[in-house]
Amino acid sequence: MKIDLYKYAVAAGLTRRGLLKGAASVGALAALGGLAPAGRALAGGHGNVRAEILKVPGVGMGSPTDADWQKVGEMCLGPTMERVAQGEFAGVELTFMGLNNQNLHNFLFRGFLKPWEAYTGAKINWIDLAQADYNARLQQAIATGTVDFDILEMGAPFEGDTAGRGLLDEMPGWVSEQIDESDLVGYLQPPVGTWDDKKYRVTIDGDCHTFAYRKDYFGAGAIGGETVPSTWQEVNAASKALAGQTDPLTGLPAHGYLDPLKGWGGFGFYFIANRATAYVKHPDDPAWLFDADTMKPRVNNPGWVQAIQDVMDLIATPGAYPADQINADPGTTAFQQFLAGTGSMLMWWGDVGSSARTSDTSVVGDVVGFGINPGSDRRYNAAAGAWEDVANEAPQMAYIGWGIYVTARVSGDEAKRKAAWSAAAHLGGKDLSLWMSAYPSGFQPYRNSHFNYEEWEAAGYDRAFVEDYLGSNADSYNHPNAAVEPRIPGIFQYYSVAEDELAKGFAGQYASAQETADAIAAAWERITDQIGRDSQIALYKASLGV
Amino acid sequence: MVSTEADYLHIVTADNISAARIRFGKTIMWASAALLCVVGLVQYLDSQGIVSLGFETWRPTLYAFLIWASCLCWGQVLLYGERGKLALFVLPAALFAVAMVVFPLIFALGIAFSNWNLSSPTGRQFNGLDNIRQMWGDPFYWNALKNMVWYTLAIVVEYAIAFGLALALNAQIRARKFFRVAFLLPLMLSPVAVSWMIGKSMLEIRFGPVAHLVRELGFDQISFFGSPEMARFMIMAMDAWTFIPFMMIMILAGLQAIPKELHEAAEVDGASGWRRFWEITFPLMLPVSITAILIRIIFKLKLADIIINITAGGPGGATDSVTSFIFREYRDRSNVGYGTLLAIVYLVLIVIAMTILMKLADRWMRPRY
Repeated sequence: MKIDLYKYAVAAGLTRRGLLKGAASVGALAALGGLAPAGRALAGGHGNVRAEILKVPGVGMGSPTDADWQKVGEMCLGPTMERVAQGEFAGVELTFMGLNNQNLHNFLFRGFLKPWEAYTGAKINWIDLAQADYNARLQQAIATGTVDFDILEMGAPFEGDTAGRGLLDEMPGWVSEQIDESDLVGYLQPPVGTWDDKKYRVTIDGDCHTFAYRKDYFGAGAIGGETVPSTWQEVNAASKALAGQTDPLTGLPAHGYLDPLKGWGGFGFYFIANRATAYVKHPDDPAWLFDADTMKPRVNNPGWVQAIQDVMDLIATPGAYPADQINADPGTTAFQQFLAGTGSMLMWWGDVGSSARTSDTSVVGDVVGFGINPGSDRRYNAAAGAWEDVANEAPQMAYIGWGIYVTARVSGDEAKRKAAWSAAAHLGGKDLSLWMSAYPSGFQPYRNSHFNYEEWEAAGYDRAFVEDYLGSNADSYNHPNAAVEPRIPGIFQYYSVAEDELAKGFAGQYASAQETADAIAAAWERITDQIGRDSQIALYKASLGV
Repeated sequence: MVSTEADYLHIVTADNISAARIRFGKTIMWASAALLCVVGLVQYLDSQGIVSLGFETWRPTLYAFLIWASCLCWGQVLLYGERGKLALFVLPAALFAVAMVVFPLIFALGIAFSNWNLSSPTGRQFNGLDNIRQMWGDPFYWNALKNMVWYTLAIVVEYAIAFGLALALNAQIRARKFFRVAFLLPLMLSPVAVSWMIGKSMLEIRFGPVAHLVRELGFDQISFFGSPEMARFMIMAMDAWTFIPFMMIMILAGLQAIPKELHEAAEVDGASGWRRFWEITFPLMLPVSITAILIRIIFKLKLADIIINITAGGPGGATDSVTSFIFREYRDRSNVGYGTLLAIVYLVLIVIAMTILMKLADRWMRPRY
């Protein structure tokens, strides 16, 4: 769970009495044999582990410390013990490369793996990286052939750069079994984590964009209309209609949807994609950014152009956006605008939902609601080259979430290989993952078993809050037409150059949305040619599982 | 080599260098040079897969280079005695500079003429002049260069302000020491801090105090980074605010070095304040001014951090600097070959421009009297 979300749950969702009640019920349920639903992991053999770990340190008992992480790591060792004999990896030394964001990630992994090291006899050396340094460090290690780590925390978008080049070790079958892969939410099931039908990833996180809106803008007699917009057509209509009105909460000018019009190191592209997926992600076709057979960009097809045109329409509507929108990146739209009471609709990751209620600068905590990515009245069929008058919905799984991978460095040494995968499986274990979803870890829920609200309630969480928070994520994750981005080498290069061209388009330097989209497509063609078209096509197909 | 006998002024003792010593000196120099060449060549062949000797790192070549450098220095003493020792004052530094600047520059040139995207499975490939052709047709690069001209021209205004402030601080004003320190404060701030504190916070459109003040003054819907001209001006202003104190402090030092007698003599002759400034202060300050401006130009040409943090080059590239564009090309797009070429071309442009400027400055600085 994200830190701020946890703080909220503690500050707003709990009273001391509620906490005691929660703890008591956890205890009671634990005594009755645990809470885990059917299909539990092998840890199920340890009956009440799930309820017990949720008591460490106890929701509302302050932020967990290294001692807590070690304790939880030890309590979740069951599945490891079933497959690894004590001291089996004595003398094995592994290097783990991961992040140190917010003193989470690697900091937790260290604690979780300490009892694992003590039991197995292996030793882990750590490479901690700041998020900003991560991409460069990984790319340089790959490009210069100096991969110096055995276990790697990595986002799925980089699978193309690593698995696609044979740098990763294939996941042994017992790992899938140990971590109970079938419990992963829909979109994290293969092909995510696989290349050429080989598995490489132990998932430890989920990511998606969800829709946040202001409840006080929508409803009977509200300024935004009777109902919350559920399509991009409605979003744009509401945004135009709101221009010139007054915000019911702040008394300042009212605004509708907040498009970030400035780049954000490539991440800004996810936001135009939020609009586009509703138009272009066809249920019959997993591809939506490129043609899988040719890598011809689809970014200038009529569906994408419509998405860009929608933004340009709002730019051309005086008062639709706040005054400085051309200089607003996604961080601005979320934290300086939406949470501060400017604008009424937003797409973002889960952080916004939690920050709405926990951040000191947020004024919208009581009036924020969530849903999935807006859909569209019609969709573009790239295969047929024509619009279809059929409603479409396609939530975007922006960034796909973190996973643990093992590099090919260990492939030749069976003991080392088993040790590395055992460590990865320990971190991606079903029970441990529940603890990571419930306490500050930097990771989002990503398993179907994480959405058992009873478990959360029993641990002491406020049920309404948990349902609200988890509900929109669950609906997006398991959507049958979820838009999953291509896991091909250099995907962020495509995003970055698209941001530059979009900035020019939004500043009026191109004559039309089509011209802007054509410029992006031309830049993408150059990147594809530079990286190598044939290899990109092969890797794109592998990533789509076609 | 220069004969030692002729240079009595600098040479304390005349060396009697034996032929055997000269032979030994030459031997170790050539032997170590040969060793360096052989090790370098073998490692190169190994890295290319032509021979397989299992080198894991390039350290053997580094060690061979260090041995060669040591032998070269030692050889100078063996061959030239006292005079060779004099060479040791410079030679290690020169070798260090060659190792740390010239070699990387040669490698950078190699990369600049390559197609090298870190995501490409084929790795680095020589592509001749393709990167130059791409640069020639790259509107983002030319736009950034054009912006740099605007940014650099702003130095004229910065200089005028800095000169004015320096004159004020040089005058007999109250709390002079306090103002000198206070005016220096912006220079002590990191540009990243400036961009967040001012660009992202004080100029924030809705809650920022500056935006608030502007609204209080009756302006509506103010946007500091909305239009290209305004955004460019704001970047210039923030950068100027940070670096004007630097020019000011240099000019102030120059002003304090002007003998008071000159002003007093002019005053006795009945020169007005303006004439005293224009005929005495300004001409005498020219060398300092030119130096301050040249250093400022060098600083300005590196302008990137404020832009990256506040506008990311926008709106529509209006505030993009060459460095911030290269940053995106290199960091966000891992386009190492093209990014390096852009940086090298920029370096060449800067060297040419600075050389011309220094020649001109040299001409301007000749006294008119």
